[in-house]
Amino acid sequence: MNEALLSNQVIVFLLSEVTLFALLTVAFVVSLKVLLKWDFESFTPFQFSLERQAYLVSTIILFVFLMKFILVVYFIFSIDALSLLLPGAMCGAGVIKANLYGSYLLISKIFILFLLTLWIYVHSYDMRTKNHQWFKQKSWLFSLIFVFIILELSLDFSYFLNINTHMPVSCCSVLFGQLEGANPLPFGLSVNSLLVLFYLLYILALLTIKSEYTILYILTNILFVFIAYYAVVYFFGTYVYQLPTHKCPFCMLQPEYYYVGYLLWGSLFMGTYIGLSDAVSTLWLGKTDLKSKKIVITLLSVFVLLCTAYVTVYYLRNSVLL
Amino acid sequence: MTDKMMIQIENLYRTFHHGSNEVPVLKEINLNICEGECVVLKGVSGSGKTTLLSLIAGLDKPSSGKVLIEGEPISKLPDLFASELRAKKIGMIFQHFNLFEHLSVNENVTIALIPSGLKMKEIHEKVAEALKVANIIHKKETLASRLSGGEKQRTAIARALVADPNIILCDEPTANLDRDNSLLFIDILEKLHRMGKTIVIATHDPLFDSLSFESTIIPMVDGKIV
Repeated sequence: MNEALLSNQVIVFLLSEVTLFALLTVAFVVSLKVLLKWDFESFTPFQFSLERQAYLVSTIILFVFLMKFILVVYFIFSIDALSLLLPGAMCGAGVIKANLYGSYLLISKIFILFLLTLWIYVHSYDMRTKNHQWFKQKSWLFSLIFVFIILELSLDFSYFLNINTHMPVSCCSVLFGQLEGANPLPFGLSVNSLLVLFYLLYILALLTIKSEYTILYILTNILFVFIAYYAVVYFFGTYVYQLPTHKCPFCMLQPEYYYVGYLLWGSLFMGTYIGLSDAVSTLWLGKTDLKSKKIVITLLSVFVLLCTAYVTVYYLRNSVLL
Repeated sequence: MTDKMMIQIENLYRTFHHGSNEVPVLKEINLNICEGECVVLKGVSGSGKTTLLSLIAGLDKPSSGKVLIEGEPISKLPDLFASELRAKKIGMIFQHFNLFEHLSVNENVTIALIPSGLKMKEIHEKVAEALKVANIIHKKETLASRLSGGEKQRTAIARALVADPNIILCDEPTANLDRDNSLLFIDILEKLHRMGKTIVIATHDPLFDSLSFESTIIPMVDGKIV
């Protein structure tokens, strides 16, 4: 058996994932039964029984989904800790590239978190109606999420079962470093134009969040998170590490950088998830929430200000940019 | 009493499950109660009176059937809305008073209005008014733990009244009171009846057999209205 699978973090992580999946499977079976027979206008014993079951299932799903957010943070922490076992790995970046499944697993987790946020939104709207107006939408969305969670669980096991602790992996400097003659930035952008785009998209996101142009806001938000990822890895991150050659999204999660990566990535992704969920709810259910918009503005602003602060402080201290 | 329907109950059933056994507690209850009416549900212990009151208050959900409060189906409302409806339209008085023993009379009554979002000045005025009606204002600074049974029940009445609900539900309100305090309680009920409140009392106390004001006695046996 491989050593990675026997590490405390991986055991705890996989056991937690399996436990949550077991709970979701029960919820899925019951929710399908409820969904197919649901008739809120009826006052029959069967409908009252379905309503009791629906309440229980919603509570289970909400609990599991909130735990999944915590578990993603723990997953990042776990793969970071695994870097001690893998030759060549200096942080989670090398560990995630230890086999083919790693990147797909990470992307699936990021995508599923968005779906979970959307479900929590639809659920909160549903609980605020007298007749469970959004019950069917919520249940269908859960069914879709459940399919993705099956995929995620199989990727979890495929990934951890296939980590070879004797095979050297590439560290972040190789994975994310400026390759000779090749531009790693998207759309052939230079770092300067990447930064201009980064700030422009941030301003555009703020301008469109309260506007009627919901689709424009969704597109801006998706593009912003994409550009922000590259901006952090290839520009702002180098100021976190204070080293122009260190381009890594994972090292900033480590204690020597005061775990600032959790705050940076957390504010960016939570801001994006909440913003997108609110926007999708607007298009899908015709519901919008002013409080969510304020939270999004705060989170994205914290992210942008923190990124900018690292550069500013470095410049003020050293009178030079990296 | 007016013709306006306050409480409508249609084909109401409530069954509890003990393992594989089904215990029917309420069976085919049909009942209409108009505004300003005083209804006394009479029956021995286990006849389903308290369960019926819980369903009217939206504290429990039926196994089947409807409970409408001023036309709104409280039996189908999600918890959030059932709580809102209860806070606005229903006051409850319990056999065991259910007071916070470590709080004063004034605080026990005030606490019922905190979720309403009213200004404190307005809350204080309403609390004072409710304490006056329940005849307990002279004890307003006393801790609930230091009150007699009758005083505790009058505090509970003030708490039930403070949000000015149209419906007052009383569950065995005199079970822990002596005869004098029970009569005092009935005097206050008469005052509430004159104020136009709809009152539903679940009791087996014979004092409610011949009330001095207009009331309807509904006997309950084994979960059925007879």
